[in-house]
Amino acid sequence: MHSPLPRRRAHDGRRVTHDTDVLVIGAGPAGAVAAWEAKRAAPELEVVLLERDPRVGTPVRCAEGVGDAGVREFADPDGAAWAARKITRVVFIAPDDTEVKVAERDVGWILDRTRFDAFLADRAVAVGAELRVSTEAAGMTCEPDGRWRVRLRGAGGEATCRARVVIGTDGVEAMVGRWAGLETRVPARDMESCAQYLVEGIDFDPDAIYLQFGAGIAPGGYAWLFPKSPGVANVGLGLVALKADARNARQYLDAWIARRYPGGAKTACTVGGVIVHTTIRQTYTDGVVVAGDAAHMINPLSGGGIVNAMKAGRLAGCVAAAAVRAGDTSASRLSAYHAEWMALLGDDHLKYYRLKRALEDLDDQFFNSLARTANAIPSGKRTLGRIFAHALVRHPQLIPVAARFFI
Amino acid sequence: MLDAPDGGGYRSRMRPAPAFPEIAVVDLQVCDRCGLCLPLCPPEAIHLDLTDLVVDRTACTGCRKCIAPCPVGALTMVAA
Repeated sequence: MHSPLPRRRAHDGRRVTHDTDVLVIGAGPAGAVAAWEAKRAAPELEVVLLERDPRVGTPVRCAEGVGDAGVREFADPDGAAWAARKITRVVFIAPDDTEVKVAERDVGWILDRTRFDAFLADRAVAVGAELRVSTEAAGMTCEPDGRWRVRLRGAGGEATCRARVVIGTDGVEAMVGRWAGLETRVPARDMESCAQYLVEGIDFDPDAIYLQFGAGIAPGGYAWLFPKSPGVANVGLGLVALKADARNARQYLDAWIARRYPGGAKTACTVGGVIVHTTIRQTYTDGVVVAGDAAHMINPLSGGGIVNAMKAGRLAGCVAAAAVRAGDTSASRLSAYHAEWMALLGDDHLKYYRLKRALEDLDDQFFNSLARTANAIPSGKRTLGRIFAHALVRHPQLIPVAARFFI
Repeated sequence: MLDAPDGGGYRSRMRPAPAFPEIAVVDLQVCDRCGLCLPLCPPEAIHLDLTDLVVDRTACTGCRKCIAPCPVGALTMVAA
């Protein structure tokens, strides 16, 4: 049984040592949900949530799109201040600008990540987790008793925090995993370099997201328009640098916006990396689990990671809390988290990854003709499933691609 | 040292390894601190230090894997 630690605060000059049960590093969706679930599962434990920036939710490095069913597992988006826009349609744009409108219902939402991340962190604080902003983890070492000693740096100088379990939710940079000895490196072909502007004063259907493919537009990825409000949208793209010419992601994006939305006013620019790989081989070690982007838990086909991160955060928080309670935070105990994640989504990502690799072999000409095949289906019946069925018949080169998904 | 594992080895098994002729440097005026380059670095020579990107001069092997993926072109190679 777990016995509460003495809350020792040894004042050693400016350095402060603080003990906690669960330390969550990074207050994005994965970390905030992990802290929330850990505290809900075991209210007697002390849970600390660290955020490097002065405010949770800034800066936003995200296109902010989520699926409807996924986000509803965690919060109700109807009428929520953090839900910027409901999406009911998807428009795929072929490399030659042929548009394919896909009929779907309740596709998803465009979030206001600044508000959404703050909402999730507030919810963790409301159940008793301690949130510390402007505090960065600068390194960590394992102590003989199995606890991790984490060096913290912030406005108030340096401090040390000892934790029974560290949950690494520090995003693409994944330093917690690196410090814990996990393999978090990514091959260059599986890293999408992304750039995005908030563009104002442009014309589009505010209930639809737009996705355009093309070797000259976003090689190895796609360009997107995600509406925030009528006339205002996140316009960005992700590309694989290995397939690109000498230009970087922002230069590709500038060219795309100049061609498609020449009247738009580009405001905030943001850049970032999306890892379109599969889950890291091991997401746990003694006293450490990693979740979300830090563990490469992004859908390798779509590049979406918000809901995945929250699902992984939930598993990580519950497994960590149970491990501390049981007094066993060993790797073998925490491996339950990895197994649960793989069964939930990790194994599916292996399939999506194979599909992604197969799709990489198809060229612009194929996507142009696929768009014409899709547009031959009456618009009311043009669902992704029907497009796929028609495409398999008309484009036999897709059969081996589809086969890669199942074998 | 042995040849580079990616086969690009200019280093020979027969001669002592020369110093890496080039290493990556970051222009902090351009860098957006997004962290994309960290997991791309094979020797894990890049980290964020109080939100500023740092390339460890002694660990960088000059492999260039971080250069092209930078979305804003903040990383360049210079003579070591």
